[in-house]
Amino acid sequence: MQEIWQALVQSVNLIVSLDPEVIQISLRSLYISGCSILIAALFCIPVGGLIHFHDFSGKRVVINIIQTFYSLPTVVVGLMVFLFISRSGPLGGLELMFTPTAVVIGQVILIMPVLTGMTISALSGVDRAIRDTALSSGASNAQAMWAILFEARFAVVGALILGFGRAISEVGAALMLGGNIRGYTRILTTAISLETQRGDLVLALALGIILISIAMVVSITMNILLQRY
Amino acid sequence: MAILETMDLEQRAGASVLLSKVSLSVEKGEIFAVIGPTGAGKTTLLRLINLLDRPAAGDIIFDGQKITDPSCDTVKARRRMAMVFQKPAVFNNTVYENVAYPLKVRGTHGKTEKSAVHQLLETIGLGGYARRKAKTLSGGEAQRVALARAVVVKPDLLLLDEPTANLDPVNVKMIEELVMRFNRERGLTVIMSTHDMQQAQRVANRIGVLMNGQLVQVGRPGDIFYSPDNARIAGFVGMRNMFRGYIVRNELGIAVINIGGRDIQTVSDLPVESAVEIYIRPEDVVLAMTAASSSARNNLRCSITSLSSIGPLCTVTVDCGFPLEVLVTDKSVVEMGLSQGQELYASFKASAVRVLPSMPR
Amino acid sequence: MKTLLINPIRSVSISLIITCLLLGVILAGCAPAATQPAPADNTSSQITATPIIPGKARFKIATTTSLYDTGLWNYLEPMFEKKANVEMDIVYAGTGIALEYGRRGDVDAIVVHDPAAEAKFIDEGYGINKRSFAFNHFLIAGPVADPAGIKDLTPEQAFKKIYEAGIADPAKVKFISRGDNSGTHSKEKLIWKAAGLNYEDVQKSGPWYVEAGKGMGPCLLMASEEGAYILCDISTFLAFKGKVDLVPLVEKGDLFLNVYDVIEINPEKITTAKMLPTAKAFTNWLISDEVQDLIGNYGVAEYGRPLFTPLKGGGCTESGCPKLEDYTVPVE
Repeated sequence: MQEIWQALVQSVNLIVSLDPEVIQISLRSLYISGCSILIAALFCIPVGGLIHFHDFSGKRVVINIIQTFYSLPTVVVGLMVFLFISRSGPLGGLELMFTPTAVVIGQVILIMPVLTGMTISALSGVDRAIRDTALSSGASNAQAMWAILFEARFAVVGALILGFGRAISEVGAALMLGGNIRGYTRILTTAISLETQRGDLVLALALGIILISIAMVVSITMNILLQRY
Repeated sequence: MAILETMDLEQRAGASVLLSKVSLSVEKGEIFAVIGPTGAGKTTLLRLINLLDRPAAGDIIFDGQKITDPSCDTVKARRRMAMVFQKPAVFNNTVYENVAYPLKVRGTHGKTEKSAVHQLLETIGLGGYARRKAKTLSGGEAQRVALARAVVVKPDLLLLDEPTANLDPVNVKMIEELVMRFNRERGLTVIMSTHDMQQAQRVANRIGVLMNGQLVQVGRPGDIFYSPDNARIAGFVGMRNMFRGYIVRNELGIAVINIGGRDIQTVSDLPVESAVEIYIRPEDVVLAMTAASSSARNNLRCSITSLSSIGPLCTVTVDCGFPLEVLVTDKSVVEMGLSQGQELYASFKASAVRVLPSMPR
Repeated sequence: MKTLLINPIRSVSISLIITCLLLGVILAGCAPAATQPAPADNTSSQITATPIIPGKARFKIATTTSLYDTGLWNYLEPMFEKKANVEMDIVYAGTGIALEYGRRGDVDAIVVHDPAAEAKFIDEGYGINKRSFAFNHFLIAGPVADPAGIKDLTPEQAFKKIYEAGIADPAKVKFISRGDNSGTHSKEKLIWKAAGLNYEDVQKSGPWYVEAGKGMGPCLLMASEEGAYILCDISTFLAFKGKVDLVPLVEKGDLFLNVYDVIEINPEKITTAKMLPTAKAFTNWLISDEVQDLIGNYGVAEYGRPLFTPLKGGGCTESGCPKLEDYTVPVE
């Protein structure tokens, strides 16, 4: 139990002394997961809107499938993507294996179901009357859709924070696809994994504390921005 | 000049018919009320006019333009109208943002927007509420915001779907006064649906009665309430004391009708032996302890079977050979010492009896 | 009657296009964020002076965990990067998965220590230009109490005794196996065979035999935790000495010889392998006198003795040592 206290102290030390490797790893984690959430959001929020606003046969089934994939195991995603982007796989020519891009791809696939599904949930929570109110106030279809999305903004931002959290905290895919290469694809989670295996538990915990702090800062920032608008 | 006309409007939901051959015409600058029981199709009609839904058949002509035509720009047409719904619908945002929304979607920003919104907030009595979260408002306040949001863009037509159905009397009055004020000051044409007959009577210039998807009568409030076209309308607008009978004598327009063994004198041109339905409004009947107290032609001896208080009024049911509902003030009840079983006289004018030919069953 | 609120085809196409554009940006733009020089040790705050040149070629190797856990690569990596002017990516993998990466062309060279698997790899045509560059020995470590009483036996005898004692009392006697087709695991299987036991029988014989499926370092920690016996290479053992409560119990035996080899990936078989020149340079660099000396000195300061013995200079005298040309002849 004293490890936790030691870890707390060490994490503060690492941050205050601006340890270059820790900063590098942290920024990389942030950058990679930031890219992942951005790409996923650009795709999933419109698609979620599409599914929600459009009635089609099998809609319930589609939503169920999306929700099933909330629990996609990260290492399975890693394995599947590996088979594709390995040099001897169909996308081998792109030379993506063991690169940060590969990690981004893995994370995007991982968080797409969550982001899509929760966008649909968020939009479902908006009263149907909002659509009528927007339209009768003179909104075009596009403006009305934006009004509904804006009405659901707290839930949508919640989904984004969740997606980001899932991306920045996953190990399986990042390890498999990035290779945990020092100075290139090592991120906080893979570094924690390595330090744990090496037996340096205090350092592993310290990195963990830094990871949680980053996630907290992101969450708080997004909520502050939300309150402003 | 008619600003809005519907021609044989039809609407269906699956197999059931919601609206059938509805044709009405609303004059510019008037307040037109659509009344009818729940499920009559009032909301359906208004949604069609606002182009929120497409009709199964029929046309809507707005200011000379056929807006149900597929080539018509829906958004453009809608932007000249505004609608307030039964349930106060506000965006999860500030009051200001709610009222400013229609301006924003039309591209009006900046100072114009600001002054228009603030001015309107003052008008509706929510001057200091601009930065309040709209979700924290009471029902009445929210509905006022919805109303402001509707009129801020100075529409040509305002549609109100039972706007006061969920509000308390104070707020009902406020909304009604604001609607009438906007109509008066801006020449704003209003189509309002309601199931409250008294409201229609207070507010509207003309009334259309919608029943089971059909427009059964259109006219001035007086026409509807005092000369309903048939028994169904009469029942809806609050006619009590409906009876069937035959005209036994007709002398110079005074028809005598036998109801429950008693002779009732009415004003009617219908010939003798016509089967008729008559209606007498409860407030047109006067109760007195003696027979000679009034100049009315009908003075019937009767006894009180029950009393029922509603607020400051009391409905007294008497047996005159047929059951008659009479509306008197509570004060009168006390002053006359009315009680069950008491014997007294009920009198009403011949002109107070509405006579209609009997509808074949 | 519900009107469609948005045009589905249009919005999906637009988002797909934007998504692809972003992916392209990431693909292209990932280099600047990643070409950081690797500091020598992640717990110190040294910064090497390697300049950042975006877009340097990347040379990937998969290495056995025992080499990685000792920190030898942390030590050698910056030197080779500077010399060959490449970015070196070292992937931590057991011999099993390292060979798989090699077969798939995901790495340009592999550094492993499993002669039998390596021979097969080369026979299948995936690997070329194998060179041995260092060696050390395995040992059997265990708890101080030594419940099975194996101290100073031969490797085969020790294994036999652990097998019998473990079946008799699994609570007291345990063995941690790598269980991951690594070089160490292969060596372990060889010793079981030499002890006259069928490996499948050993696997099924009881809870005393634990297949951990982890790297060398993590397995040592586990053995320490469980008070179990374990087959380990001397270098990893020394590197973890302060962290584990194990002592070396059996250190002598022909079977304990552990030779490290580097193998390049054959571009004729794996057409996507493009880094052959660098791989050749790497092989030659490892067997060069200069680096052999560095290897020979690695760990002396910290552990009192080198963790690896270079092959140059005939340091390996036991039977089973590689032939002269396997460690001295540079690759063309």
